Amino acid sequence: MATETPPPPVLYADREEWRDITPLEQSDLENPLVPIFYPIEYKDAMDYFRGIVATKEHTDRVLELTEHIIRMNPAHYSVWQYRYSTLLALCSPEYLTKELDLMDELCLKFMKYYQVWSHRKLLLLLPESPSSTSGPNPLAHIIPTPSQELTYLSRVLATDAKNYHTWAYRQWVLTHYGDTHPGIWEYELIATDILIEDDVRNNSAWHHRFFICFASGAQNGVEERELAFVKSKISLSPNNLSAWNYLRGILDKLKIRYAELQTFVELYSGPRVGNRNEDEDEVEVYDLDNPRPSSNADLPCALAIEFLADIHEQEGDNEKAINVRALTSFDAFIPF
Amino acid sequence: MANATTDAASDTSTLAIPVHVSYIQKLGESQDDLMYHLTSHLRLNAVYWGLTALCVMKHKEALEREQLIEFVMSCWDEKAGAFGAHPRHDAHILPTLSGIQILVMLDALDRLDAERVISFIFSLQSPTGSFSGDRFGETDTRFCYCAVSALSLLGVLDRLDKDRVVGYIRRCKNFDGGYGSDVGGESHASQVFTCVGALAILDRLDEVDSETLAWWLSERQLPNGGLNGRPEKLEDVCYSFWVLSSLSILRKMTWIDGSALERFILSAQDMEAGGIADRPGDMPDVWHTLFGVAGLSLLGYPGLEDLDPVYCMPTDVIERRGLRKAWLALPRREM
Repeated sequence: MATETPPPPVLYADREEWRDITPLEQSDLENPLVPIFYPIEYKDAMDYFRGIVATKEHTDRVLELTEHIIRMNPAHYSVWQYRYSTLLALCSPEYLTKELDLMDELCLKFMKYYQVWSHRKLLLLLPESPSSTSGPNPLAHIIPTPSQELTYLSRVLATDAKNYHTWAYRQWVLTHYGDTHPGIWEYELIATDILIEDDVRNNSAWHHRFFICFASGAQNGVEERELAFVKSKISLSPNNLSAWNYLRGILDKLKIRYAELQTFVELYSGPRVGNRNEDEDEVEVYDLDNPRPSSNADLPCALAIEFLADIHEQEGDNEKAINVRALTSFDAFIPF
Repeated sequence: MANATTDAASDTSTLAIPVHVSYIQKLGESQDDLMYHLTSHLRLNAVYWGLTALCVMKHKEALEREQLIEFVMSCWDEKAGAFGAHPRHDAHILPTLSGIQILVMLDALDRLDAERVISFIFSLQSPTGSFSGDRFGETDTRFCYCAVSALSLLGVLDRLDKDRVVGYIRRCKNFDGGYGSDVGGESHASQVFTCVGALAILDRLDEVDSETLAWWLSERQLPNGGLNGRPEKLEDVCYSFWVLSSLSILRKMTWIDGSALERFILSAQDMEAGGIADRPGDMPDVWHTLFGVAGLSLLGYPGLEDLDPVYCMPTDVIERRGLRKAWLALPRREM
């Protein structure tokens, strides 16, 4: 819920320029089941909203009124819908520009609400609507380019790197514009690099990376690169569910047997292997195929043990799988 | 709210049904007026949550039947032929499902102009098989579930092109076996429920990677016994339903530690004012109250009514309509 309320403004009931509107109160229905209480400011604004809906008004002051209500209650979908209808009626580059600026502020402020993202999407889609008049749509150059949009989304995610709606919207941008703007995929890949570097456990960033590399059809032949990537991240922080899911995802997608990774996994499923003797002069070569656990990794790693059990199960050795699973501190009973 | 002492008043080891019943009854009288009116866009949904919670706690009679029906019908949007969340709100598929569910639970479906509602629902389907929430087109797998559930409750599932819907849900499946809000969306427990629930109603659970998904769901359990919605996020009582119902549908409820979860849900109760919160110490609300008791019911907590995890409605109601699927909950324990 919105935690800020604006300072008490002058009520619409006391404003000269709203005198022509008949405010309509909440439904007369007297039902003790769901009686209504309103702080006066919200009630006043909603009464006038109902008033302009009744007269089907779509003007500047409706934009003012609906923005006011939205700031108090961003989840009110009817108000958003009426605002959009008003923008359609006013239909001009000037209004759209102002609205996009406003949405930059509101999406950041109210990113947890579905409605801000729905509204933003509708704006982006305006130039494509069938109701466009003849000739090139004058609104087309007003909306942000896909690159600009993705840059904005990076900014939003910098304040909350896991916000679900922002990520869903991001995936929509790629799905919608990816074919006609192929360059954005590379940008997005780098964005996931940065986010995973920042927080290796950001599941949303891992998911987005899988989407780019394997689910979108935009990239091909990146298996080697991605296998190396995920293994390097596991070596850094083995107790990371997102990375192991990512690994499984790649193997499942390419139909690679889990057993092919047994050497790698066994570096993590037991206590630390091969003590680094400080007296030795040997320089350890980084093995891309089987990177070793980092020095502060917590071993043995339960997720690696799980993976080992999956290997045995896939190879048809259920008894070995059960024995391996018993090594984890799993309290849950997993029947076979 | 949560008291560090071991006063009887803050002993949350059992479900305090009387205070929760009273909490639900008093919702309409809430003195917390700002929050109350700010949630008018959820009102009909909230009535469904409250009524279902009462049914699970065996106190259906605590809300007056005619008043409930009257409220539901007052949310009818005559222009659209469906329900809005509140009188004079535009129709939307979420409150439309809630309205239908309430009427079914109250045995009052005859009050509905079913054909108009059915038209409304079908008007929201896109060629890709997905459903929008309303005519403005926001797509989400939640709406797919609402449409499938509503049509099923109205007895007209046969009118749906099931393959098209199944095809859409399939495209929402992720590499981890889970489902997101739309194609390409990150797996999230609530979206998992909507997709698995819809597939259960459509008798297409063969589409699900059961083992992989059940494992992903079981990984939602945290050391405090609570469940989260996706990796590395906080626990929340509502996932007690989204995750548990999915596991119940997949017949793998034993894959999580039920006792630990039960203790977690109970610890989120407000023993004085009633209601259940998202986690211990926070303010309760009717959404978490429903999903808390729903989770407890699926876990076999004694003294509760059986709940159908596919529809999130009492099992006897669903069975009477011949809609029961092959899900499996934990057996009800004796008092």
